[in-house]
Amino acid sequence: MNENELKDMIAHWAGHDKVPKKLKVVNDTSDFFGIDYDDVLMLDNHPYFIRNYEREGRFSIDEQPKFWVRRALDLSDGDLKIIKMVFHERFNARVGDLTFECFRSPQKEAVILDIVRGHPNFMQGFCVNDASGNIVRVIDYIRGKTLADYILELGKDHEDYFYNHFPSVLDNYVDLVNAIRFLHERDQKHGDIRRDHIIKQKETGLYRWIDFDFNYLHKENMFGYDLFGLGNILAYLTGRGDVTVEQLKESALSVFHQLNTDDLNIIFNNRVVNLRKIYPYIPEALNFVLLHFSVGANIFYDTTHELLADIEEVRDKLRRS
Amino acid sequence: MNSLNKDRHLLIAVDNSENAERAVSYVADFLGGVSGFRVTILNVIPEPPPDYFQSDKDRTAWIEEHKSEATRMLDRFRQIFIQSGFVKDKVKTILDIRHCPSVADSILEIQQRLECCTIVIGRRGISKKEEFLFGSTSSKIMRLGRNCAIWVIE
Repeated sequence: MNENELKDMIAHWAGHDKVPKKLKVVNDTSDFFGIDYDDVLMLDNHPYFIRNYEREGRFSIDEQPKFWVRRALDLSDGDLKIIKMVFHERFNARVGDLTFECFRSPQKEAVILDIVRGHPNFMQGFCVNDASGNIVRVIDYIRGKTLADYILELGKDHEDYFYNHFPSVLDNYVDLVNAIRFLHERDQKHGDIRRDHIIKQKETGLYRWIDFDFNYLHKENMFGYDLFGLGNILAYLTGRGDVTVEQLKESALSVFHQLNTDDLNIIFNNRVVNLRKIYPYIPEALNFVLLHFSVGANIFYDTTHELLADIEEVRDKLRRS
Repeated sequence: MNSLNKDRHLLIAVDNSENAERAVSYVADFLGGVSGFRVTILNVIPEPPPDYFQSDKDRTAWIEEHKSEATRMLDRFRQIFIQSGFVKDKVKTILDIRHCPSVADSILEIQQRLECCTIVIGRRGISKKEEFLFGSTSSKIMRLGRNCAIWVIE
C-alpha cells in the first residue's frame, strides 16, 4: 500500500479534513512512545489509523493515560479498534494490606482472546506480531457504559431498584460469573476482576469482560483473587453501589451502630457486605452468599462452581417471590 | 523383600519457611533412631509462567537460583534427620520445580506415586484474609488427602 492509497482510505473513513499532510507509517511498536496521533500502524499488511491514547480507565489499572493502548481506525472497514502494544512491567499490587507480585502479560491476553472468540460475555479481538515480533492485540472497541456506572442509574431508590431491576441485574451477573467459570475451566484467570472491567455494550445490551493482560504469581488458590473480585461486584450490585461505613455514619447513624466488624468486607474493611442489616428486604439466601466475603466468614468459595450454585438458588427464590 | 519396602514411608513437604524447619525438627526428634521408618523430604517450587520472564536467560537464571537455594536447604534438612539417628539411605530428598496450579495437588500426586503413608507439613499460620485471597496449601492437603495420615506441625 502506498502513501496515496492510505490517504484515500483515511479520507474515506475519517474524512478529508483528517488526512495528514505527511503520513508516517509504522510497523514496529517496540517504541510505542514514538507512535503518534495520525500515524498509520501496519500490522500484517493491515493499516490502522492511530488516534488517542485510551483515557477512560477501562483498559488500565488506574485513570492515567496508557501510552501503549491506542484507539485506531481500521482502514479496511472503518471500525474503531483498541490497539494494545507490549509494555512489560512488574509491580507489587496492594489489596487492602496484602501485597502480591503482578506483571502485565500480552501473551496471557492473546491466549484468552483466542479462547473466548465468539463468547458473548468477553471483549473480542485477536493478536498479531508486529515487524519486531511484539504481540500486539487488536480489540473491537465496545461502546457503552461500565457496569459500575450503569447500576447507579437504576431505580428511584434502593428498594425500587432491588424489586424492579435487581432480578435482571442478577441474571446478567450469573452470565458474567459463568463466563469466568469458562476461563477457569481452561486454566486461565481473568486477573483483574473489577466492576469497571465490565462494559454493557450499547448495541447488543451484552455485558462483556474486558482487560485480561493482568497476571500475577498466584499461591495455593489460583482463582482466589478472581473470586474476591466477583464477590465485590455482587456486593456492589446488591447495594446499588458500595455501602461504606463512612456513608452510614454520615446518613444512617442507627444502622451504623448495629454494625460490627464481622459485617465488613474481609479485605476492604470500610465496605459493608452484611447488607441485610441496611436493607432488611434483601433475602437471607443472598445475604448468605455475601457473608462469604465478610470478616466474619469461616468458609470461602474456592471455585466459581460453588459461588454459582448458591447464586442460582438465590435467583430461583427471587423468581418465586 | 528389601527392608526399605517394609518401612513406613513419610513424606515431609517443606519450603524455605521456619514452619517447614519446625516440621523437620519435630519428625527427626520424634522418630530419630526408631527403626521401621524412612522419609522423603520434598520441596515443590512452582515455576512462574513463561510470560513472567522477559527472556529464556531470565528464566534459566531464576531456576538456577531457586534450585541452588533449595538444594542447600534440602541437604541441611537431610543432615538433621541423619544426625537424629536416621540411616543415610532412609533419608531421600526430592526437588521438584514445575509449572503447577496448586502446590497441594503436586504434593498429593507425589505422595500417591511414592505410596507414602503419611504427609508431614508445617503450617504457616497465615491470616484469614490471606487464606481467603491466596488459599492455604496445608488446608487443601488436609481437605483432599486420601489414604494417608496428615501431620500438620505448627
